[in-house]
Amino acid sequence: MATFIIRRLIAAILILLAATFLVYNMVALSGDPLEDLRGSQAPNVQQLIEARIRLLHLDVPPPLRYFIWLSGIGGCFIGQCDFGFTIQQQPVVVLLEAAMGQTIQLVTISNVVAIILGIVIGITTALRQYSAYDYGITFVSFLFFSLPIFWVAVLLKEFGAIGLNDFLQDGGTVSPVFIVVFTVITGLIWASLIGGDLKRKAATFAISGVATAGVLVYMSSTGWFLDPRFRIGGADLSIVIVGAFMIAAAVGVTAILSGFKRKRPLIIGLAVALLGIVLYVPLQYTLLNPSAFVMSIPFLLLLAVVTVLVGVGIGWLFGGEQRSQAMKIGGWVAFLSGFVIIVDRIQQVWMPYSESGRIRGRPIATIGATTPNLDGSFWVLSLDTLTHLLLPSIALLLISFAGFTRYTRASLLEVLNQDYIRTARAKGLTERTVVVRHAFRNALIPIATIIAFDIAGLIGGAVITERVFGWNGMGTLFQTGLDRTDPNPVMAFFIVTGALALLFNLIADLAYAALDPRIRVS
Amino acid sequence: MRINRFAVGGAALAVGALALSACTPTPGGSGEEIVEGSSITVAWNQPFYSANGNTSFGNATANNNINYMTYGGFNFYDSTPELQQDESFGTYELLSDDPLQVQYTINEGVQWSDGVAVDSADMLLNWAALSGFYNTEDFDAAEFQDPETGEFTTEFPENTVFFDSGASPTEGLGLVQEVPEVNEDGRGVQLNYSSFYVDWELAFQAGLPAHVIGQQALGIEDPQEAKDAVVTAIQDGDTEALSAISAFWNNGFNFTEMPEDESILVSSGPYQITDFVLNDYITLSANENYVGDHQPQVEQVTVRFITDPLAAVQALQNGDVDVIAPQATADVRQQLDSLDGITVQYGDDATYEHVDLQFDQSRNPGVFSTLEARQSFLHTIPRQEIVDTLIVPLNPEATTRDSAVFLPGAEGYDDSVAASGVDAYAEVDIEQAIALREQAGLAEGTEVCLLFASTNPRRVQEFQLMQQSAALAGWNLTDCSSPEWGGLLGTPGAYDASLFGWQSTSLGVAAAGPNFSTDGINNMSFYSNPEMDEVITQLNGEADPAEQLRLQQEIDRILIEDAFGITIFQFPAVSAWSDRITGLDPSPLAPTIFWNIWDWEPTETNVTES
Repeated sequence: MATFIIRRLIAAILILLAATFLVYNMVALSGDPLEDLRGSQAPNVQQLIEARIRLLHLDVPPPLRYFIWLSGIGGCFIGQCDFGFTIQQQPVVVLLEAAMGQTIQLVTISNVVAIILGIVIGITTALRQYSAYDYGITFVSFLFFSLPIFWVAVLLKEFGAIGLNDFLQDGGTVSPVFIVVFTVITGLIWASLIGGDLKRKAATFAISGVATAGVLVYMSSTGWFLDPRFRIGGADLSIVIVGAFMIAAAVGVTAILSGFKRKRPLIIGLAVALLGIVLYVPLQYTLLNPSAFVMSIPFLLLLAVVTVLVGVGIGWLFGGEQRSQAMKIGGWVAFLSGFVIIVDRIQQVWMPYSESGRIRGRPIATIGATTPNLDGSFWVLSLDTLTHLLLPSIALLLISFAGFTRYTRASLLEVLNQDYIRTARAKGLTERTVVVRHAFRNALIPIATIIAFDIAGLIGGAVITERVFGWNGMGTLFQTGLDRTDPNPVMAFFIVTGALALLFNLIADLAYAALDPRIRVS
Repeated sequence: MRINRFAVGGAALAVGALALSACTPTPGGSGEEIVEGSSITVAWNQPFYSANGNTSFGNATANNNINYMTYGGFNFYDSTPELQQDESFGTYELLSDDPLQVQYTINEGVQWSDGVAVDSADMLLNWAALSGFYNTEDFDAAEFQDPETGEFTTEFPENTVFFDSGASPTEGLGLVQEVPEVNEDGRGVQLNYSSFYVDWELAFQAGLPAHVIGQQALGIEDPQEAKDAVVTAIQDGDTEALSAISAFWNNGFNFTEMPEDESILVSSGPYQITDFVLNDYITLSANENYVGDHQPQVEQVTVRFITDPLAAVQALQNGDVDVIAPQATADVRQQLDSLDGITVQYGDDATYEHVDLQFDQSRNPGVFSTLEARQSFLHTIPRQEIVDTLIVPLNPEATTRDSAVFLPGAEGYDDSVAASGVDAYAEVDIEQAIALREQAGLAEGTEVCLLFASTNPRRVQEFQLMQQSAALAGWNLTDCSSPEWGGLLGTPGAYDASLFGWQSTSLGVAAAGPNFSTDGINNMSFYSNPEMDEVITQLNGEADPAEQLRLQQEIDRILIEDAFGITIFQFPAVSAWSDRITGLDPSPLAPTIFWNIWDWEPTETNVTES
């Protein structure tokens, strides 16, 4: 294992060396670095040119000049990175840090959402192969797959930002027509998804339709879109909704991971959810209260880890015979409950945020990564980041989502048709056990590699998205550098994306081995 | 029944929690989590990068707009455009016009945002910088110019003074070749010009904070001492001190994000820079120590950098920005016309589009070295077609601009157009273009590479129209465009012809000089004609307005005679703003929308909370 990783890392470094060599030369040869000299302001052009040749070592041919750059990068190993300077005389390192922060934020969120959505929808389409739902998703994912991202971005701004903001400014009331159409579509999707005979489908359609319409009417009539809280007589009773979501999470996670045959896992799931409900109010006054505690991203992550550990711990303590299942269920329910609490906390600042003088009832932004000069608590700033991330993330995720859905579907279908699945069914295992324990894990193997490849590709894809949405990420760094025949920022972009691509490749291989017992890395 | 006990306990807890949450409102529900004030966001297409707009590095609209709001001045252009004096800042008086003597006095009580008085020390420093009086002779600054950026390094040899202000001994403050006298009260200086300078009224302002430069360059802590040291250095001609001062003057005010040492942000105008995020936005807040008449009404003005005009319109539509002044295109107009609650104003801009030909140092060597070649190429430029297809949709009354010197409609324009011979280029003349090209001895298919902004859609369209027309006359017009076209201007060997706009920053009659005189700062074409140089020198010394007009018309005539290039149209301008702001009155001259920033008034919809 260790030798495998070391071997792969050495190979990765060699590949990176060769690739940087190629890219450096291509950038250096893509234009004339002397082109931007301003003759009019330089009385002595010849000396200017000479000065530049000295500074940039232009008398050294690019293949050799590469090694001068490389020695600067080589300094990273002794803690003295030298990425050089850009045309505006700024150290590339500073730009790189700022750019990486923005791009990674963008790519991470869109990727995580795309993976979760893609896999979930992929699985459901595979399980309901050739249903109307399956055909619908196939159509939609091919549609997304073939959309040009710059066009999607402009459309998203028009409808996702301007349209949505107009809707919010007009009072956030949904028109009856929309409710009817939305209800029918949701009903059809659920009916097709749950399946069964006509009678069952009709029942599903009716139940889900009524539920959807009810929720929509409630949201529309109480101004939920302007203030996403659940209030009765002025009192904020959102804890009811939060609690319902936690209990639903407990039931859902149990249904997937262990089924309801044995009671103990369900009880543990519900217990963790109850713990979440109990902690909800105290948390509002302590950790989640900006005047009592200054929250930060690292601490939030730490909190997430602690939460999961608590859930796992509860499962371990009270799991009994189903300890391993109970631990999983406890961990997942704890995580989801924590997530619901955080979402609820951000919802609390939605109204003050969107009514603030800087936002003025139009919370979804079309440009930039933050609202200039917005000052507020961690939660307000998080919400601000989210409203800026929303559209570019959707633009990015629409495209990768399409891929994930198709791959997951194909991969799961292939596994489901294999003999061992038939054997598993034949020996009387429940469908849940067959799908979750036997089919799903194996279906994930090819997905793991695709996800890894996709991450490197997404950073490249973010070049266009960043431009349309006015983000100053890696794409901007790359583009401005290339425009000016300025290799230093381009190489900074390349070394980061290249290293990431290789790293994710390695991770994919390790994940492959971890997921597939037939494969052993050595 | 364990499950029941569980359920009951759980239910009890849930009810308890519910009751608890119902009794007490959730903390952080309103107000307290947000800190804010009244604000306006303006979209501009280029990031700010220097608070010193007088260096050749920092002289750009993106900088001057901001600097206009942060530095007070003796005069400014209104939207007429007409020169207005700001007597709440200071006054100036013409003592004599032969020899030319001007007295500048800053009002008592005018101060920098850090409380230090704006006075003669600042003006003295500004004179030293703009006149280039102390610049070390025969010093080749180019050696110390960062070739990547055009900025000067701070590592001048010892005792070398170099203010990078593009000072020329024949114009502007370059003509004030004696140390100005300082008034006893320390608030005034008297400038004695060695010869008449026609635009003397536009030549001088109060400049940068002398005390900050003294503190930074000379390492003196006390602002008054630093100021005195600068004055002494200038009055005594102390090259050692002036060397450090000039180096800091050249470099110290260049920054692309909030500087660590905020002392260089001191302001004497209605606003001061309070936040600056790399490539994203710059925020100006009302200057509390501002005492003049131009008291701002909007607490914070944020300028966001949005390169793409359509993204700017969408941002306006969405309320991300409140004021935009994008480059007017048909798409922008179409999109703006469909918006509600937005005030849109169309008009002329001070910029005119023109094609310049490289007399020398062209990419295809010698292609435009002959008059015939230049005339031939100019005959192919479809000026009327460009105006009709690209400008009329934006400004229905748009015509070609036919003078390189006069603004259309300005006094002298019609006479100049009639006399200069520009009518020869009114229509495309392919036959003559072919004949002239052959006379110049250039084969069919001769390449002309055109430099223009690749990011500017209109110039791309103009290029395509020009390309088609040029092809008919056997010219092969190729694409030398770049997003960084500005930096490429005047670069030897980079292009053969350039398509860009000159922006008039004033109505001064001397403005034409730098464009057309030999080695003039804006003469990117390596154009040199002794007759032109003489006319320009004459114009710069001419006090009689009628004679000024005659000389300006002479410049127009010589330019056409030499086939220097051709003007095409006056830029249509469009600006649009939301209902959150009133009082905008865009001016054709820079700083366009910003000129009356103090009149901008937040409307009721501009919610101010505290």
